[in-house]
Amino acid sequence: MFDRALTFLAKIKGLVGQRRADVAFDEEMNTHLEMLAEKYQREGMTAREAIRAAKRQFGNTTLLRQRQRESRTTMFFSKVWRDVRYGTRQLARTPVFTIVCVLTLALGVGANTAVFSVMHAVLRKMLPVQDSSHVFYLHTTGYPDGASQTGDSDTSFAYPMYQALREQHGVLEVMTFIPMSSSGKTSIRVGTVPEEAAGDMVGGNYFSGLGVGTELGRGFVQKDEDDHTSVVVISDSFWETHYQRSHDVIGKTLYIKSVPFTIVGVARKGFEGTEGRLPLDFWIPLQSRPEFNAWGNPAEYGMYLTTPNKWCMKLMVRTAPGISREEGLARAQGIFARVAYAGVAPKHAGDETYKLSFNEAKQFDSQDDSFARSLKVLMMMVGLVLLIAMSNVVMLLMARNASRQREFSVRIALGAGRGEMARQLLTESLLLVALGGAAAWIFALGATRALGSWAHIQSNLQPDGAVAWFTLGVLLLLALVFGLAPLRRAMSSGPEMVLRSSSTVSHTSSQKVRAGNAVIVTQIAMCLVLLVGAGLLLGTLRNLLKTPLGQKPEGLLVFGVQPQHAHTKEESIAFFVALQQRLRTIPGVQSVSMAGNRPGSGWSDNNAGVLVDGHKPKGVEPEQANYRHNTVGPDYFRTMGVQVIRGRDFSDADSSTAPKVLIVNETFAKKYLGTLNAVGHVLSNSKGLEPNLIVGVVKDHKYTSITEEATPMIWDVFTQGDAVSQLNIEMRVPNDPMAMLPTVRKMIAQIDPDLPLMEPMTQSAVFEQSISQQALFARLAGCFGVLAVVLIATGLYGTLAYRVSRRSAEIGVRMALGAQRLQVVWMVLRGSLSLTAIGVALGIPLAMAAGMQLESSLYGMKALDIASYMFAILGVAFVALVASAVPAGRAASVDPIKALRLE
Amino acid sequence: MAADKSEVLQGTLDLMILKTLQALGPLHGFGIARRIEQLSEDVLTLNEGTVYTSLLRLQQKSWIASEWGVSENNRRARFYSITQRGLNQLAVETENWERIAAVIGRVLALEAKA
Repeated sequence: MFDRALTFLAKIKGLVGQRRADVAFDEEMNTHLEMLAEKYQREGMTAREAIRAAKRQFGNTTLLRQRQRESRTTMFFSKVWRDVRYGTRQLARTPVFTIVCVLTLALGVGANTAVFSVMHAVLRKMLPVQDSSHVFYLHTTGYPDGASQTGDSDTSFAYPMYQALREQHGVLEVMTFIPMSSSGKTSIRVGTVPEEAAGDMVGGNYFSGLGVGTELGRGFVQKDEDDHTSVVVISDSFWETHYQRSHDVIGKTLYIKSVPFTIVGVARKGFEGTEGRLPLDFWIPLQSRPEFNAWGNPAEYGMYLTTPNKWCMKLMVRTAPGISREEGLARAQGIFARVAYAGVAPKHAGDETYKLSFNEAKQFDSQDDSFARSLKVLMMMVGLVLLIAMSNVVMLLMARNASRQREFSVRIALGAGRGEMARQLLTESLLLVALGGAAAWIFALGATRALGSWAHIQSNLQPDGAVAWFTLGVLLLLALVFGLAPLRRAMSSGPEMVLRSSSTVSHTSSQKVRAGNAVIVTQIAMCLVLLVGAGLLLGTLRNLLKTPLGQKPEGLLVFGVQPQHAHTKEESIAFFVALQQRLRTIPGVQSVSMAGNRPGSGWSDNNAGVLVDGHKPKGVEPEQANYRHNTVGPDYFRTMGVQVIRGRDFSDADSSTAPKVLIVNETFAKKYLGTLNAVGHVLSNSKGLEPNLIVGVVKDHKYTSITEEATPMIWDVFTQGDAVSQLNIEMRVPNDPMAMLPTVRKMIAQIDPDLPLMEPMTQSAVFEQSISQQALFARLAGCFGVLAVVLIATGLYGTLAYRVSRRSAEIGVRMALGAQRLQVVWMVLRGSLSLTAIGVALGIPLAMAAGMQLESSLYGMKALDIASYMFAILGVAFVALVASAVPAGRAASVDPIKALRLE
Repeated sequence: MAADKSEVLQGTLDLMILKTLQALGPLHGFGIARRIEQLSEDVLTLNEGTVYTSLLRLQQKSWIASEWGVSENNRRARFYSITQRGLNQLAVETENWERIAAVIGRVLALEAKA
């Protein structure tokens, strides 16, 4: 055994320096021959005789040299290399076949891998924390009346809950993390330029409890939380982008909301926080300064640490070793029942009991369903495309190898070994799959990134290697099975096959034709499903783009501003009033206003409870009177390009000391006042307090998104409303809004050098982004539809062309016997058209079933949209016609004399 | 090639070369061929080139080693010498050979009696 290993090693070593070894051996042989000749000469032979005798005695030198070379090293590699070269030549000889196969594999496998990887990341991937199966996000089904919370109601808890859970040593360890603002981002400054970065305030045990180490420096300790120290841990990618991975980053100062923090550590690479889609740049210990209130909320309504009814802390737990998930949850539920009502009225008998739940520590907690659903639909489409692609490759391989029957027979007749032939065919298949695989991986890299950015997942997304390997493995298996199938036939029929006339053996068996037909029918059915799906989704996109917004987002620049030094409501109002005045002075700016919630971003304040002039609003119970709400600035509707149909826009005169005013939309006026003439009426809350005068009625327009239905809506002006910590500035400019950005930045820097512009973009882009998911979804579906059509076309064309070429003798005979060219063409077309008809008939019910699944993703469309179905059916029929036209033409141009002579 | 001369059994050549190198010390291929020719007294015949196939095989198993040197008549030649592993192997092979030879001898003697 050991000897064999040594021999093998020696042979491997022999791979290098083959030439040198050859030269050395030649020298050795020559010396030997010369010495032998000398010996014979000494024994009395003539010089010539001696040389001949020596050669005779030594044996065949060429053969010996060859043997020596073979045993010196392993022949395996050179044989494989020969097969690879031969295979490459074979593939290069049929470039169309090769390119079609490789592209088919690349698109099929690549798209599959990309979609699956994103799905995996979204639905499966666990946080990169230690022993993640024991770590859970804490969720609740609700919160008691009187508690104020942040909007993320199922993940928000109050400080007493956190405190109580902290005492459960031995059962649970609780970690808390609080976003710096509702967008998750806040203003920071590394050098001189302020920017926005995402960060969380976390408990002292955040890193140790999760089991996340550091690349550099330290994580937090309990003292950091207790003393609210001004230290910060940055993420690995922030370290890279802002400090170029410099090791003296520890001890440097990072300004967060103008407050200096000392960098004490860099978190382990790959850990990007526990906020799901949003990768975090930094973490700081829980802070007690008013400007660091949870979620960036104004401290006026209470700091999160001291206000027991403020539900704003996100919690994660780690169950202690030996404690099951159920035991941990039971303990947490018990504590929750005890502390949930801290700071609010105690629970009434009969009130709903709020239930806690432990959610697995996945990378993306509480993913919104629409996204997962879109991914699943996409996955189904990709699956269909992959099926079509695979059956195509298989059919192409089969057709190609069947037409090589003659080549195989000749090679067997010339003495090729079965092993050799099999190895060579396998090499060819492997080569094809390897090429396809490489192309697929490149495609998957790009596609995964594109899908990730579509989903707004900025976390480290990579194509999933396991998926790629699995898909490739299946393809490989298919390639092997179908690559070798013709060989078996060639073997069993033996070399004499080549001697027979090709037409006698080549007319395909009816069984094979039926199998081919079944594949084509299935492909056409699947193609129809894909085309109907694509049609529905593209129709949806068209409807979305055509929907009137009721405003003019073109020419509007929007950016968020968080005043750093405004600690009270008055300071904040003064800041924004001054800011508006300053921005108005920029040359070219037509008007400036602001909005609490950026239109088109999906955010909205949703309220209920209103009295009109002290009465029920037109028969609706006051508590049931729902409406959306936004806080805006003077000139808002003029700036946004919304038509004011009654009364007036907000103006600078609507100051904090002026009478409180409101503007409502058409729907609100009609629904709750019964008339568009709402100006002059007074709205108050359901208790009849806080009266506001309606001063204007505006036309309905889109607020949260393009797809929203017209909803009753109220606007108030920020100078008279609740305190705001951030406003979005809307600026109307004559040209490209983004061109105005540098000027604006300069002006803002003069006001406060620590003030970044948050998410600056054009207002059009905000609306575009709001449908980016649907748009990409529709475009991808369209791509898959086109892809399927192309695949069907190539598959159909390949199969028909192959059949026609095999039947040319038969066609020749038919024509010799008087068949007209038209009849021949019809014969071919009839075949493919009847296949298409069967495929369509099978595909329609499938498409209807698939359409039902899509229903919720559609906008302005019905699942049974006749146009989409007609488009799909005509598309498939057209493709079938085009794909069969060339083979049909070829059949018609068969020269009967030639065809018969060839046999 | 005379019909009454035995073909060299596969494997026996390896053993002969090992023994030759053990007995005579480092030798080049020509010398090994001469030694075998001499010892076999023309009973065994072989193409001398075959020696090199055997030498390569032995070298790959690390039973012998080789280095370039100068032959007695001032030619550059590759000298082969037996290694420690080769010596061990020679002992094993010799024992095997003797046992088999003894068995065969007994069997043949038995047949002669019958």
